[in-house]
Amino acid sequence: MKRGFVAALVVAFVGLALYPTVATGYGIRFMLQLFMWVALAQSWNLISGLTGYVSFGHVAFFGTGAYAAGILVTTHGWHWGPASLVGGVAAVTLALIIGYPCLRLKGPYFAISMLGLNEVMRVLVSYFEGLTGGGSGLSFPAQPVSVQIYYAMALSALAVTGAAYFIITSRFGLRFMTIREDEVAAEAMGIDTARYKLYAFLLSAFVPGVVGGLSARDTGYIEPISVFPLIITITMIVMALFGGKGTIWGPVLGAATLFVFQELVWARFIYLHQFLFGAIIVVVVLLMPRGILGILQQRYHLPRTI
Amino acid sequence: MNVVITPAMVGQVVISGLLAGALYSMVALGLALIFGVMRVINIAHGTILMLGAYTTFWSFQLLGVNPYLSLLVSMPLMFLLGVLLQRAFVRRVVDAPELSSLLLTFGISIALVNMAQLAFTSDLRSVEFLTGAFLLGPFAFSKSRVVSFAFAVFLTLFAFWFLQKTRLGKAIRATSQSREVAMVCGINVQRIHLYSFGIASALAGAGGSLVAVMVAIQPEMGQVYTFKSFLVIVLGGAGNYPGALLGGMLLGLVEQLSSLFLTTQVSEAVAYVLLVLVLLLRPTGLFGGRST
Repeated sequence: MKRGFVAALVVAFVGLALYPTVATGYGIRFMLQLFMWVALAQSWNLISGLTGYVSFGHVAFFGTGAYAAGILVTTHGWHWGPASLVGGVAAVTLALIIGYPCLRLKGPYFAISMLGLNEVMRVLVSYFEGLTGGGSGLSFPAQPVSVQIYYAMALSALAVTGAAYFIITSRFGLRFMTIREDEVAAEAMGIDTARYKLYAFLLSAFVPGVVGGLSARDTGYIEPISVFPLIITITMIVMALFGGKGTIWGPVLGAATLFVFQELVWARFIYLHQFLFGAIIVVVVLLMPRGILGILQQRYHLPRTI
Repeated sequence: MNVVITPAMVGQVVISGLLAGALYSMVALGLALIFGVMRVINIAHGTILMLGAYTTFWSFQLLGVNPYLSLLVSMPLMFLLGVLLQRAFVRRVVDAPELSSLLLTFGISIALVNMAQLAFTSDLRSVEFLTGAFLLGPFAFSKSRVVSFAFAVFLTLFAFWFLQKTRLGKAIRATSQSREVAMVCGINVQRIHLYSFGIASALAGAGGSLVAVMVAIQPEMGQVYTFKSFLVIVLGGAGNYPGALLGGMLLGLVEQLSSLFLTTQVSEAVAYVLLVLVLLLRPTGLFGGRST
């Protein structure tokens, strides 16, 4: 079973690595967006799935990365690659500033403060027009780089999933999960909870920042409402939840399934898109709060963290 | 920006702040009620406000009903909608972690917004009623804002009297203090949840009817009010009902004052910084009260 799984993974890797040589332009863009959602859902999983602190404004890191990279590319002529990495660093910096005070808040209060953070980032980006172009946004110079972005996105998704694997299977990750199960007990056992929550938060902010920069390069244009919408946060949460939060493969599974579903089905119902998404959220929350993997784990007695 | 700020200007923004603040208080009281009784953060609160605003718009547009009279339609309608939502969905997540209720109410919210877009289109609508302002000394009072203010104050005080004095109101407060003890005292907690969600939605619907005469109506107008209501209940202390009243006034003032000294856009950022500070330094709200 385990061998078969590894073999399947290798085949999938090789297949995805060779895919751009045979794919159409649409196929490449489809896959790179799928990778983006895997990376985002998995990043959210690192803070919220593992420590239980619900980040309800994770898109703030995505948008911050997009703008940091966007400014470097459009006004300083940087290459999009390093610019996106700086985008990740910018997101981590924001996470440090916000996480230090806000991670002391419990339960719904943390969620509200993160929701607010996103609103404020959007307002600030619109306000500093000289730097960010304000409401008229930033346009990137035209460059046909879809294939490179494809690999960069794939690498981001791989990196954050790899990180999830190493964290979840290590003592380090055990501390996160202890915080989720019972923070007071975690503290009583000598875990510096404030510090570990901050670690999880910083880890979860980096890749969304990078992916934000990459996605901005791919789209070629960013504006405040396009990179700070609440719906991106919700989508990554629902994807992680649908697959199974707090697990390694859940966010990957959830992101892939929902994204494919979205492209195949919702495209036919453009006017009902949001309604259907709302309905899916309601169904996931009410009927399968532990996700696909959660259901499988219960039925087949699998370990809780796979 | 070198604008000289005169005392009259400060007075004017204080007036506008209080006029806006009363509406925030009323809408946020609804959110505080849901949070206090059920520990549920209702993201669909602003969406219900939007539906209230459309109720007023259509009754004005099609039947020529006085917008303030349409409160009599929007409030019962939104009460019923709230009861329905609670009965069908929200009651299933009352004891779940906050992620469930946040996502669930968000899902409900975008589904309702989408329905509103399909039914009413995304065109900006407005209710042309009581336009203009009257002058009192150096200060200008927008007529529609003053009348809306008066209604908001009246409805908020009424809701407050209801919570303080009636049996049902007392049962609601008892449930928000301790559900178990309330149950032991023979209160049907499920029913109290139903009423609370209904009353909260009626208050949001009333807010919608009252802002309908002031701002543009469109399906996505509610999100702003949801966010503002969060701010208010944090400022006032979650589950602290008098706190919500003061919090609303305070938010109105802070917004208007910061838009005078800075710009309108930054006022939201100022409000956020205030929110984080209050959460960290006075988690029970600015006005004291029991911890949650």
